[in-house]
Amino acid sequence: MGNNKTVDLTELVDQYTDDLYSWAFYKVSDAEVAKDLVQDTFLAAAEKISSFKGKSSSKTWLFAILKNKITDYYRKKVIQSVSVDQEHFSSYFNEKGDWRREKMPKDWQEKEEHLLDDINFQRLLEECLNALPESWNTAVKLKYLLSKKGEEICQELDISPTNYWQIIHRAKLQLRDCIETNWVKD
Amino acid sequence: MKKIMHILFLSCKKATEMIEKKLNFKLSWYEKIQLEGHKMMCSACKNYEKQSKLIDIGIAKSKEKDFSQEDINQLKKLINDKLPNIN
Repeated sequence: MGNNKTVDLTELVDQYTDDLYSWAFYKVSDAEVAKDLVQDTFLAAAEKISSFKGKSSSKTWLFAILKNKITDYYRKKVIQSVSVDQEHFSSYFNEKGDWRREKMPKDWQEKEEHLLDDINFQRLLEECLNALPESWNTAVKLKYLLSKKGEEICQELDISPTNYWQIIHRAKLQLRDCIETNWVKD
Repeated sequence: MKKIMHILFLSCKKATEMIEKKLNFKLSWYEKIQLEGHKMMCSACKNYEKQSKLIDIGIAKSKEKDFSQEDINQLKKLINDKLPNIN
């Protein structure tokens, strides 16, 4: 009996690891995290295999487990960043809430589409994203990673909308500032 | 004058927060008026909104995937090594 289970799962691993991994990678855009999630999925599947009645296909079953793992992963991540410290804001705004002179967003002078096609700009954006604290980085990418709207994300991750846009606000301030500071036109 | 502007049309801190709310949720009609009023008088926040949208598009574009078959095979092996211990 025990042997049978092992054989079945091994087959599933062989058959579905590719699909599960590419989906996980697409959702988290981090190879190591995606690998861990797929691994956790099969470990959870091994534990639950006796309750798998074959009502759905094994593929659907595995994807459902993976989807929960991904949501859990994001929930943990985003919850880490929920407390909004005022200190961070004070480097951008004075006590009245006006921009500090040196931090005022300047006009970038260039057409949007030029910037977006500029390989140097793309590289800089990537660098500035990586320079963010990890949970902020995740928060700004979340709607693209999950391809969901704000409300759905908050529901799924069980955070309040106010918290969500405040995290984004904080992350975007830093991201924008990083780009402006480091963007040198040749 | 500035004080009145803050009360009626938000501080820059609040205005940029509303911009992020707008990009992810919906603003109430009152928030909309406040934000539009603020932007009429504040070019810094107008720049912020433009650039924040641009950054969003940039993030959406940068989401590409690349991984090798070798990675996948390694992963399969790793998982299979762990599985028997559970059963």
